[in-house]
Amino acid sequence: MPPVWLPEIVADEEDLARFLASRGHFNSTSVKPAAFMPEIEARETSVFRHGPEPRDTLWAIADEHAAQGRTIHGAAIIKARTVKSIRLDVFPDEPPPRHAAIRNWPWTQDDPDLRKAEHKELAISLATDAQLLKR
Amino acid sequence: MYQSIPTLGVIAGFAAMWASANDGNAVSPEAQAVTAQAASVVKVLEQSQALFGAKAEAISQLMALAAGEQTANPISVLLAEQFVRVLPNAIPLPEFSIDPDGSISLDWIKARNQIFSLSVGANSRLAFAWLNGTDKGHAVARFDGQRVPERVIEGITLITTNGNASRLAA
Repeated sequence: MPPVWLPEIVADEEDLARFLASRGHFNSTSVKPAAFMPEIEARETSVFRHGPEPRDTLWAIADEHAAQGRTIHGAAIIKARTVKSIRLDVFPDEPPPRHAAIRNWPWTQDDPDLRKAEHKELAISLATDAQLLKR
Repeated sequence: MYQSIPTLGVIAGFAAMWASANDGNAVSPEAQAVTAQAASVVKVLEQSQALFGAKAEAISQLMALAAGEQTANPISVLLAEQFVRVLPNAIPLPEFSIDPDGSISLDWIKARNQIFSLSVGANSRLAFAWLNGTDKGHAVARFDGQRVPERVIEGITLITTNGNASRLAA
């Protein structure tokens, strides 16, 4: 794939693809909140700056950079605006190409379970606005 | 590692009871009383079987998901299974997914903007959140393994019946 130079700031209108490596992260019609929950160590959710089209390129990115030995079953597409609207933010995070990270997950709660519930509420908001693409 | 719930023994006992309940040759009052009792027991069993069958199916789905995902925490899986077992029969059964930290997420998705999502981790506390139209929130409740917390039952019920869940966080 040829290199692509993307703006240093992720624009509100940009599409973000969260690749789905678990069959449990979606059902027949929708994306589930677990698909957007942050990784605990990195405190971020990994996405790629790509929309639903062209589909071939989307799946090529998935296989080349996101799969890491797993099967990618689909993608959840959201607008960067959705992420920013709930006080999260998205930052370019290359390499790999087009990679970005959803950050600013609240980590102020001392109670890890309450923190998780707070993350869950935000993940529900992301999942609700996501477009499900099955492979 | 994980197996479906064995039901053959239950089914065998049920079949014997069903045969007794449908024995049309009973003529003495005692025999008719036994037949009537058997029939009522069969009716209760049928209802229980229908409900338990659905739970067994849900638990099998949970186990299959957990078996296919190395990230699932085994303790969380067992607690999630117990949660399903004690879930009141009037509550719809959830869908399952696995969180990045290995917790089991139980989701009730009524519509795109009506979701109740609960995480069962490796301890007795349940992290949950909901979206119900414009109303949303999150909270934590304790699960003792015997009863689903009232707040959780109320939250699921409100989502699945189009109610208002705003008081759950109180």
